[in-house]
Amino acid sequence: MMRRLAMLLFIPLMLVVASGTYLYLGSLKSKVVKEGAKLPTVVKPKFELPGTMYVVQAGALFKLEKGVFTQVASGNWAQPTITPDHSKLVAVQRSDQSSDLYLLDLNGHIIKQLTHDGARIIDANHWAFYPRVSADSSSVMYSYDSPKYGFQVDFSIWSMPLNGTQAQARRRTTPNDHTGGDVNPIPLAGTAVLYVKHSNDATGVRSQIWYQPRSGFLGDALTSAADDCGQPALSPDHSQLAMICTGGTQSTRLEVAPFNGTTLGTPRVLIGGGLIAQPTWSPDGAGLAYFAPAGIVGHFELWWVPVGTVVPVTTPKPTPKPTASATRASTATATPAVSTTAAPIVPLQVTTGLDLTATSAPTWY
Amino acid sequence: MRLTILVLAALILSSGVGALAYFFPVLAAGVGQTGQKVNVPLVPGLKATATPVAAPGAPFTVLLLGSDDDSKFSADHVLTQSMILVRVNPGSKQVTMLSIPRDLWVPLSTGGTDKIDKAYSYGRASAAIATVQRNFGVHIDDYAWIGLKGLIRLIDQLGGVDVYVTNPVLDDFYPNDIDVKYLYGYTRVAVLPGAQHLDGSHALQWVRSRHDDVNGDFGRSQRQQQVLLAIRAKATTLNAANLPDIVAAMAGEFKTSMSLARIRALLGVASGFNPANIKQIVLLPPTYTSYGFIGAQSVVLPHWAEILPLVRANFP
Repeated sequence: MMRRLAMLLFIPLMLVVASGTYLYLGSLKSKVVKEGAKLPTVVKPKFELPGTMYVVQAGALFKLEKGVFTQVASGNWAQPTITPDHSKLVAVQRSDQSSDLYLLDLNGHIIKQLTHDGARIIDANHWAFYPRVSADSSSVMYSYDSPKYGFQVDFSIWSMPLNGTQAQARRRTTPNDHTGGDVNPIPLAGTAVLYVKHSNDATGVRSQIWYQPRSGFLGDALTSAADDCGQPALSPDHSQLAMICTGGTQSTRLEVAPFNGTTLGTPRVLIGGGLIAQPTWSPDGAGLAYFAPAGIVGHFELWWVPVGTVVPVTTPKPTPKPTASATRASTATATPAVSTTAAPIVPLQVTTGLDLTATSAPTWY
Repeated sequence: MRLTILVLAALILSSGVGALAYFFPVLAAGVGQTGQKVNVPLVPGLKATATPVAAPGAPFTVLLLGSDDDSKFSADHVLTQSMILVRVNPGSKQVTMLSIPRDLWVPLSTGGTDKIDKAYSYGRASAAIATVQRNFGVHIDDYAWIGLKGLIRLIDQLGGVDVYVTNPVLDDFYPNDIDVKYLYGYTRVAVLPGAQHLDGSHALQWVRSRHDDVNGDFGRSQRQQQVLLAIRAKATTLNAANLPDIVAAMAGEFKTSMSLARIRALLGVASGFNPANIKQIVLLPPTYTSYGFIGAQSVVLPHWAEILPLVRANFP
């Protein structure tokens, strides 16, 4: 009798052991699969950054101020940029088929829709990305996929009055065909602009940072195709340019070069290796924020790195000379040699577990 | 004493049943999706079959096949949008990847001359393998086929991949054929440049779009190799406990001639590879290929005098 009772009691124990083994094995799964991104509002940054920064996570716009994240808008937002007087934002709202530029207040409320790129016919839609407001706040420059011809869809740099309409927009650059085109405009003083142009060579498509003195001029490539540099960020005093370079590999370098308004000096590598995105200068120009994956999960987190001093440009360096037409690949070869810093620079990870949108540069003031 | 042994044996048995239940999807897939038999016609000078012949630890070559949405076609008669020869040398921890252009104009093993992506649709894996073996003079030990949804699900199971996008990929005529009723529609795609995290759907957009790539299918091949490397990097962070989820997600979207033992060995060596030891080859024009027309078809013409020495050097 006792033996039967013991056996009956033993069966549930066997079930518990079997279930326990099943659950235990499930608990051994790699965190890569299990770990989702946290909302920035529930995360305390590891240290407090000065000023105010806006970042994007999964279409939601967040403000980081005094070490606290606050969500200011939701709904497919991207690429916020602050106006020079720090009173408004221009940001991209993206849908499946198109994207538009909006003027927002600092709390994420829409003041005005600047572009109207949606259309019923699929290929009549347009993309607008990378907005940047001019120093006098009179205009906004951006990348826009017009003109386009059938399969050929490339970004050009466009400019439109901030208080005007899209009908007043004017194209500034001519992209190289089928390369994706021109992106990341940075309006400079007067009529000049820095931007990233893509071109094709024997090994594939490469990006170069270009200087265009005024609309209609071809301008000069400031970096070589071989260096494959993009995502330029100009320091607050306009004396240094941070950029991401790959040398044609899947590994990135964060570089900083002196800039005298028209020419780049010798760049130095701040951080080499891995995947780095969207360098953004601190308001005092002492350091750079950027995105990079952290840990095995691969979420892009916010990092900060001090820049230190950079020797200013004293004599113009040889710059790559483009070929005669902007629609042809550049043959630039004369990028200055890259020097590395003597003292080790240690980047600091600011956030953990956020998975911030790495194609939306922070805006920081 | 006897009772103690019985109790212990019963508990171990229970634990084994729990483990068996956990890994059952893997075992089922092992029966249904791995170890696929293929009969590859004889090629003079080459070994006859695609069944595993390489000794454990010896270098081996796998033909990776990526297919268009198979719901447009009758089962297993799909075009292969992607063909990548991968040679793995476990000893030296070196990997070589060679992308074969899908429009490459070659004699097919099933007869006639056509674009190489049609080989699979005419004769499934055996025809694809035989066509590559005959034209490239390389022995293929195994193949692995993955469907579009399979790639999406695999990447999502890995928690996405981190890649560096070299240039904007814009496409106004990207096929809108995943999980929709009408399979011949289009949608717009804009993948912006720079380092970023891509989920399965966006990674597929990146590797599949080709309409506005100045290098056409060749540019796409480079992107496919980059995603493969990103998948490899992410896969090294997984462990055996993740396998049931991955297998369940890829049900019906993955087939291979590799045995479970070889897959396990492959995953084992994958984690030990240094990215610097991975060689990527794309048969870019004008050296290795050129664009041309055969009838009304736009095709890629092979320059065998340049291709074959390259293949011999990298796929001995």
